Amino acid sequence: MSSLPVSEEAPVDVETQHSVEQFLYREAELLDGFALEEWLTLLDEDILLEVPIRVARHPGSERPEFSENTNYLKEDYEMIRERVGRLEKEYAWSENPRSRIRHVIGNVIVIETTESELTVANNQHVFRSYGDTADHDLLSAQRHTVLRRGDDAGEFSIGHRTVYLDHTILNTKNLTLPLL
Amino acid sequence: MKNIEKANEHSRVDDIIEQTGKNIKNGRYPLAITNNPELYRLELRRIFGRAWVYLGHVSEFEEPGDYARRYIGEDPFILTRDENGELHAFLDSCMHRGAQFCTAENGNTSHFRCPYHGWTYKNDGTLQGMPHMKEAYQDLDDEEITLEEACLETYQGLIFGRIAEEGPSLEAYLGDFTWYLDVLFGATEAGMTVVGEPHRWESSHDWKTSADNFSGDSYHVLTTHQAGLETENLSKGPWEELDDFPGASYLACTDRHSMGYYLSEDDETFMGYPEEIADYLNPTLSAEQRDLFGRSVFHFGTVFPNMSLIHGIQSGGWGGPWACIRKWNPRGPGTTETTSWWLVPKEFADDESFLSDSHRGWESLSPGGAFESDDLTIWEGISDSSGAVTHELRNTRGNMQQGMGAMTDEVDTIEDPLHGPAEVTSKGLYFDERNSRTILQSWYEMMSDGIEMEGEP
Repeated sequence: MSSLPVSEEAPVDVETQHSVEQFLYREAELLDGFALEEWLTLLDEDILLEVPIRVARHPGSERPEFSENTNYLKEDYEMIRERVGRLEKEYAWSENPRSRIRHVIGNVIVIETTESELTVANNQHVFRSYGDTADHDLLSAQRHTVLRRGDDAGEFSIGHRTVYLDHTILNTKNLTLPLL
Repeated sequence: MKNIEKANEHSRVDDIIEQTGKNIKNGRYPLAITNNPELYRLELRRIFGRAWVYLGHVSEFEEPGDYARRYIGEDPFILTRDENGELHAFLDSCMHRGAQFCTAENGNTSHFRCPYHGWTYKNDGTLQGMPHMKEAYQDLDDEEITLEEACLETYQGLIFGRIAEEGPSLEAYLGDFTWYLDVLFGATEAGMTVVGEPHRWESSHDWKTSADNFSGDSYHVLTTHQAGLETENLSKGPWEELDDFPGASYLACTDRHSMGYYLSEDDETFMGYPEEIADYLNPTLSAEQRDLFGRSVFHFGTVFPNMSLIHGIQSGGWGGPWACIRKWNPRGPGTTETTSWWLVPKEFADDESFLSDSHRGWESLSPGGAFESDDLTIWEGISDSSGAVTHELRNTRGNMQQGMGAMTDEVDTIEDPLHGPAEVTSKGLYFDERNSRTILQSWYEMMSDGIEMEGEP
C-alpha cells in the first residue's frame, strides 16, 4: 500500500510523454557519470530538493508515513551547489573512489500539468557499488519532479524534486547527490 | 573436540580483553577488538546486558499511549507511557510463545495485541486477556503474566533502560557527566524537545568506532572532513571567534564518559542561538554551567556504551545550532544501525526560520551530510580490516598514545570550575586521546567483570 497521494493521471500527448522520459533518462546519465556541474545547469535557482524520512507505520495510523518536518536532505540551490563543489574535491571520501552508480528509471507518469509546468512521478532503482568488493546497495524510490518547460519544445528545467524512499532505515552508508 | 575448540575460542577472547586492559595505559590496544564475532556476542551480554542504555527522550512520549520501538543491544523493546503517565520499556515478546506484537516504529496505543494467538496486554504491561480466556484458562494466575520489562530511569529528559535487574542507579552510572548533561539538555527552562522523526541508517561499522569518534576526536576533522570545511560563500558564525584554533578546544573525561568542546571568548555566544536564549536560561543552572553554556560553540560526546550527543553550531556555515542524540545500535559483528534524533530548545520549537536553519545543521552530520558521509566510508574500512586474521595472529596494536607521558608539551590540565567536575585538558581535541582511552577503559571494565562466568556462549 502506497501512502503517497494517488494521483489522477494527467493525459499528455505521446510527444510530451516521450520528451519527459528522455529528459529524465539523460539527467540520470549525468548523475551516474558524476557530471554534476552539467547536472546543476538543469536546476532552477529556486529549486528545493527534499528527501523526507520514512517511518514504518501500522496501517491506519494517524501519523504520516513520510515525516512532515524531518528530511535526509532539504536543500536549496546554494546548498546543492556547495555539495557538488565538495564532491569535486579529492578528499571527499564518501565518493573517492567514485561509487559505481546506475539509475534504472521506470513508471514515468505525468501527474499534473499547467501551461508552464509538468509534475512527473517516476520509480527508480539505483544500484551502487563501491571500492574493491562484490557487494552492492540497491536504493528504491519514487521521485516527484516539477519540470518547467523551456523555450524550445522538449526542453525542461527542474523546479522542485521530492524523493520518496522505500527505506525506513537506509541500507547504504551515505546518501550522496548522485544516488537521488 | 568441539568443547576443546570452544574452550580455546573462549580463552582467546578473554586474552584479547586482558591485553586491552593491560595496554590502555600505554596507549597500545589490540586492533582485533573491532569487528570480532566472539567479542561481539560477549558485548551483548556483558555490556548491553548490564549498562544503562539510552532509549529515548521524554518529549517523544508526552501523551499516554505514545510508544516507540527501541533497542537494548539487539533486543527489541517497546518504550511507552501508560494511561497513568508511567514510562515502561517492554521486551517485544509475548509471554505465551514469544511472538512479536509491535511492528511499527512508533505510534499511540492503549493495548498491545499479539498477532499469534491474540493475547492482549495493557500499556502498563499487565495482561488484559486472550481469546477463550474463560474456557481455556480457568486456573491461570493472570496477575503473574506481565510483559518482561527493563529497568527505566531518566535524567534531564533522557530515558535510559537496563536489562540487568541489579546495578548502579542511572545517576551513579552517569557520575560527574550529569553536570555536562545539565548544560547540554537542560540549559533552558522548558528543556529540549525532539523534532520530527530521526535519521536511521545501517552501515558496516563497529558500534565502538563511532562511540570512540564522538567521544572527542577532532583530530580526524582535519583530514576526514577537509572537503566539508573548505566551502565558500557561507557565513561562519561563532566559529570566527575561534582564532586560537585549536587552543579553544577542550576535552572533559569522567570515569566512564567523555566529551569534547569548543569555547569562544565571547560569553554571549550561546552556540549561535538567537539572542533570546539568554532570557530562557534555566535558573537551576549553576553560575559555572551558565558561563560554560554562554561561551559554548560546539559540544560532542559519548555516554558509554552507545549514546552520543552533539549540541552546538557547525563550522563553515553548514546550518544553524542544533542538538542531536545518537544511538549506535549493534546489529551483528561490525554492523551498526544508527539512529540520529534532532532536538531543539522547546522555546524555539515553533520558530520556523530557526528550525529551517537548525535542520541544516543537523543534516550536515547525517548520512546525507557534508561531514558525516565521509566518516562512514572510513568507519566501514576500519571494520573491514580490523576483522583481519592478521591482527589476531600477530597481536597487532593500534595507537591511542596522544597526550601520554612526554608526547606533547601542548596539553594543559585545566583547574577551573567553569569546566565542571571532569578531568579537563585544553587543546585536548587535537593532542590528547584521553577520550578514546576513557571509552576503552569503560569497555574493558564491563567486558572483564565476571570474566570467569560460566554458561556463556
